[in-house]
Amino acid sequence: MSIIKDVPSGTKPFKRAYVAIFLWFTGRAVQAAARVDREVKKEFDSLPENFTFSLGCLPSGPRMVIGKEGGRVKYLGSDPKGRRVHVRLIIKSVDAAFLLLSFQESTALSTARNRLMVDGEIPQALSIIRVLNIVEVYLLPKIIASLAVKRYPSWWSMGRKLGGRIGVYTRTLLGI
Amino acid sequence: MDLSAGFVFTCPFKTNSGNKALSHLPVELAGFNAARPLVVASAGTEGQKAVRILKSAFGDSGMTLALFDNVTQAADLGLVDHLKNLCLEKKVDAVIALGGGKAADVAKVLNLAVSLKTPDARQLLPETPIRVRLLPLVVAPAAGADGLETSRFAHLGRKVFSSESLAPVLAVLDPCLAKGKSSIGMAAAGLAALGRAVESHIQADQNPFRKAYSFAAIRFVRENLPAAVADPGNRKASLALLNAAAMSGCAFSNAAAGRLHKLGQVFYDLLGIPQGVIMAMCLPHILGDYLKEGQYDLAALFQPLAGDDAFARTPAGKRAEAACDLLNRFLKELQDALGKDLPKSLAEAGVPGYRKEEILDVLGADEEGRYLCGIVERVANGRPERKG
Repeated sequence: MSIIKDVPSGTKPFKRAYVAIFLWFTGRAVQAAARVDREVKKEFDSLPENFTFSLGCLPSGPRMVIGKEGGRVKYLGSDPKGRRVHVRLIIKSVDAAFLLLSFQESTALSTARNRLMVDGEIPQALSIIRVLNIVEVYLLPKIIASLAVKRYPSWWSMGRKLGGRIGVYTRTLLGI
Repeated sequence: MDLSAGFVFTCPFKTNSGNKALSHLPVELAGFNAARPLVVASAGTEGQKAVRILKSAFGDSGMTLALFDNVTQAADLGLVDHLKNLCLEKKVDAVIALGGGKAADVAKVLNLAVSLKTPDARQLLPETPIRVRLLPLVVAPAAGADGLETSRFAHLGRKVFSSESLAPVLAVLDPCLAKGKSSIGMAAAGLAALGRAVESHIQADQNPFRKAYSFAAIRFVRENLPAAVADPGNRKASLALLNAAAMSGCAFSNAAAGRLHKLGQVFYDLLGIPQGVIMAMCLPHILGDYLKEGQYDLAALFQPLAGDDAFARTPAGKRAEAACDLLNRFLKELQDALGKDLPKSLAEAGVPGYRKEEILDVLGADEEGRYLCGIVERVANGRPERKG
């Protein structure tokens, strides 16, 4: 028997499933928020037609892909289906993705700790980060959203928060 | 600081430190075009624990690791030769040294043998020219790492290999690996890092880059070693010690080998006594002599040891002596806290007379042999520092 053993690296099914479900839900929520929130719509309007971005983790996902088609924002699942991806937000590992998406680390802290990579234009990536921040504020209760975003938008009116939340959740669950 | 004489400084490795730093390793390896790494780890429970942590960090990466987890104190070039043949057969394209001490030494020399495709690794000599780029070497030191992991040195089979090519390209310092089990293990590691950092910091040739590394290493040890000794599982303190060790290795790589290092290394190679234990015994004697010789910048030690306020309050002429006093007090406090676990003399460490003679023979061959043998005699029975 060789003194050097081959050791397969194993899997992390729980963390992988959590990240996959989170990205699936967030992807649908981004699609919904683009129809409900004016600020999100404005951010997407500033991006070119057929713009596509993905957020996922190395080496083989999970990931979510979102694209703009005919002026409408669409969640495309986990596969870009041959489309050119203009901006890739890449999390270096499932562990890092779990830390970020379970709100143990904010996006800013994760970036500072060198867990995220961006492949694409920085201004477009920043637009996406702003969109994701708004979506997180809609999806999460204040106490959790404060951990996830750099600055919780306490200046938002109650109407925007409540109305937006109802709209985003309804559209996310129905997939419209 | 007069820099007109010029200086050279090399830090060939990137450092990834902090929570979940190990989980970035697959991506970092991909950056080096490596997909089939060999992990070299120590035998025993500490090595097994480190392997479990590493395996978990590689989870979901899809990589298959080649693992050799049986490095013992007796590892030699014969073992390296055997491993080299297996590595070439398995087409290993990176080496990960997991833990510290001998595992790192074996990983460095093995990397050399595999990269050079040496027909017989037993024929490797410190003078062997390195004309090819070596495989990427990653070190992931665990509790007990003494700082040599990140240096350009590898000690194996009484040979000292020294080359910038032997230094790692990446050091991963993860708190999961940093937490120790025994207070003496933490103390020995911290003191070895302190010893090398102190010697690098006070050397006569001016090198501001080296000083920056040694300064931080000394301060990290001073601030965190007592907490790590009191509670070896202290995550913050043990990670700070691991960082200090990594920095001391880099500073030491850019300095001439000092007396403390030589003494610590000989005792470690021949008797397996941790270098930090020997360095703690010898440090007061050697610093006392440095103070008398006046060639070394002992005053520079005062700021990292005492802090900025105390440094500003103390007149420049008194800083050297104050630094020695402070360091002696620091060591005394550690020795009091650890009792007989941190011996004050070779007699307390259980070194028999005939082994001492063996040590003296080896040290005698050094260019400073006479002085080093004198230090060994002084610490043999814990005699107080020589006067006059």
